[in-house]
Amino acid sequence: MRLRDITRRAGRSLKNAKARTLLTSLAIGVGAFTITLSLAAGSGGRQYAQDIVNSNTNVKELYVQPKQESVADPSKPQEYSETPSISYGGGFSLKLLEQSDVDKIEALSEVESVTPVYNVTPKYVTRDGEKKYQVSVEAFLSTLKQEYLAGSGNDVTAGKAIIPDSYREVLGFSSPEDAIGKAITVVIAGSLPGSSDRTFTLTIGGVTKKSDLAAISGQGSIQAASESVKEMYQYAQQGTPIENAYMAATVLAKSEGDVEGLKEKIGGMGYEAQTAEDLMSFIFQFINVLQAILIGFGALAVLTSVFGIINTQYISVLERTQQIGLMKALGMRRRDVGRLFKLEAAWIGFLGGAIGSALALAAGSAANPWIRDVLSLGQNTNLLIFEPWTFAVVIVGLMVVSVAAGILPARKAAKLDPIEALRTE
Amino acid sequence: MEVSVIEIRNVTKTYGKKNNTFTALDDVNFTIPSGASVAILGKSGSGKSTLMHAMSGLDRPETGEVIIDGENILKLKQKAVDKFRATKMSFIFQSFFVQANETCFDNVSLPLEIAGVASGKRKEKVVAALEAVELGDKIKSKAKNLSGGQKQRLAIARAIVNSPKILFADEPTGNLDSATGGVVEKLLFGHTKNNGTTLIIVTHDPELAGKCDIQIHIKDGKIESVTGAKKPGAKPAARRVQ
Repeated sequence: MRLRDITRRAGRSLKNAKARTLLTSLAIGVGAFTITLSLAAGSGGRQYAQDIVNSNTNVKELYVQPKQESVADPSKPQEYSETPSISYGGGFSLKLLEQSDVDKIEALSEVESVTPVYNVTPKYVTRDGEKKYQVSVEAFLSTLKQEYLAGSGNDVTAGKAIIPDSYREVLGFSSPEDAIGKAITVVIAGSLPGSSDRTFTLTIGGVTKKSDLAAISGQGSIQAASESVKEMYQYAQQGTPIENAYMAATVLAKSEGDVEGLKEKIGGMGYEAQTAEDLMSFIFQFINVLQAILIGFGALAVLTSVFGIINTQYISVLERTQQIGLMKALGMRRRDVGRLFKLEAAWIGFLGGAIGSALALAAGSAANPWIRDVLSLGQNTNLLIFEPWTFAVVIVGLMVVSVAAGILPARKAAKLDPIEALRTE
Repeated sequence: MEVSVIEIRNVTKTYGKKNNTFTALDDVNFTIPSGASVAILGKSGSGKSTLMHAMSGLDRPETGEVIIDGENILKLKQKAVDKFRATKMSFIFQSFFVQANETCFDNVSLPLEIAGVASGKRKEKVVAALEAVELGDKIKSKAKNLSGGQKQRLAIARAIVNSPKILFADEPTGNLDSATGGVVEKLLFGHTKNNGTTLIIVTHDPELAGKCDIQIHIKDGKIESVTGAKKPGAKPAARRVQ
């Protein structure tokens, strides 16, 4: 018997038991729904992470930290070390980079420049006649890709700053253009008891657009020329044990091709270096684990529906004993009888997969704007991305699972003795 | 002229094991000439159904030979026997066994599909078979909407669509009243005679058996007597009853 004819007959006998077919495929559809959504969330999450990483890092950059000593037993007192570190108490401390470390790295031939991470949290930022606002200041990196509403990042020299549009607004500039060239005041508190606050005046060189990814990167920091930030940082740390020490440094490689080699070299010198790629793969790993858990739930639903299919197909074989007997009497081969029932199972899997993934697509498309609102993501960010291949994989995969579930009932049908099956009473 | 299409030699079939055996067929021998109509007569439990199953390869007797068209089907593999049934034989049953949820067309098309006939060639044959049993206007009707007589005519269409050499009919009129039974008989005899098909009817109805060329009486698994068969030329008269 031709495969096409068997497939047609399989489809027809399912049509004759519409309710049963539909219910059985809905069971498998639940699994398809979950798996399709998990896959969509995975691709959406990876895409989102990649966007964040791309807009906040540079492929030529490495993030270097001192190698932290692994704390063998945090319950025991730790030995004191002379190197600067931040102690959190309880035996946990964070080693810091010293200026000599920075110099050593800067001396490497592949290194273009080293910028220590100066994270300054001033008391406030303000300007004449305006309110005071909390802010953080970081060093401007010319390599960072960002969108300017006014001005540019081409000429950020000492005393200049780039501010996000949100600060432009609250500091009372009517438009981004209006802010260019104007001065803002950043006030830093001294670190020693009794020391006075110090006021830094910065000239606005550019206004950046509020990022689509603001939810993660916050309101954004004011970026000042690294010379200015350094000065602020030093004033803030002056006299403390961690003066001239940094949590980390950003190393800019001379070319993209050097990055991997440089990472190993710096690693060999006793530091930990992370590239943009490392950061991405770390986030990806996290997303993949989440996705795998979700798919696991879907797989559980599929497993449950497998028993449904086996049950339905067994009943179908019983109901159609005479039909099977007749077909065998008319010379239908065992193999073909078995195929007929396996193909019916395949149809059920196909239906379930199609229904489930179509519902997932509909639900996901409806949920995307809502998710965007709740998490206040940017205009063009979708956290659920449906890629065409996922539908193919889900449907074909479920068809295979269904056929496997149909093997036992199909074998029963194939083994049926036509004489017994056709006995009248 | 007397080419035998079925030859049964020393066929014995027993059921059950060791101490509790039941001999359904006991050393049965006979031959059936090509194109003849044969009635296998006997009471229920006499072994007539087992005999039909043995002749059609549905059942496999332990000993003996069942030679159909020159080939001993007991020596063939299951696959080859299936092919034999798909291409050279067909069946009509007392309870019709038409597929109620399928159209007449799909019911009749089944043996052709099983035999692997391409779909392009099927249509013409199916329509011809349905017209031969006067169901040409019911091609698209579901079988469940047919009357009993129409269902058996549909079964005949299904049995003749593949132009089989041998047609087995198991109590073909057993579930029909005498008028519709008569129509079915007429169709069966008419078609098989015109096409040279060997017709084998299993029945306990002596009247139906009387219309056949040969009557094989079976009792307790043994052939009691074989009557008729000598003058196939004189037979047309038998067909004309009803």
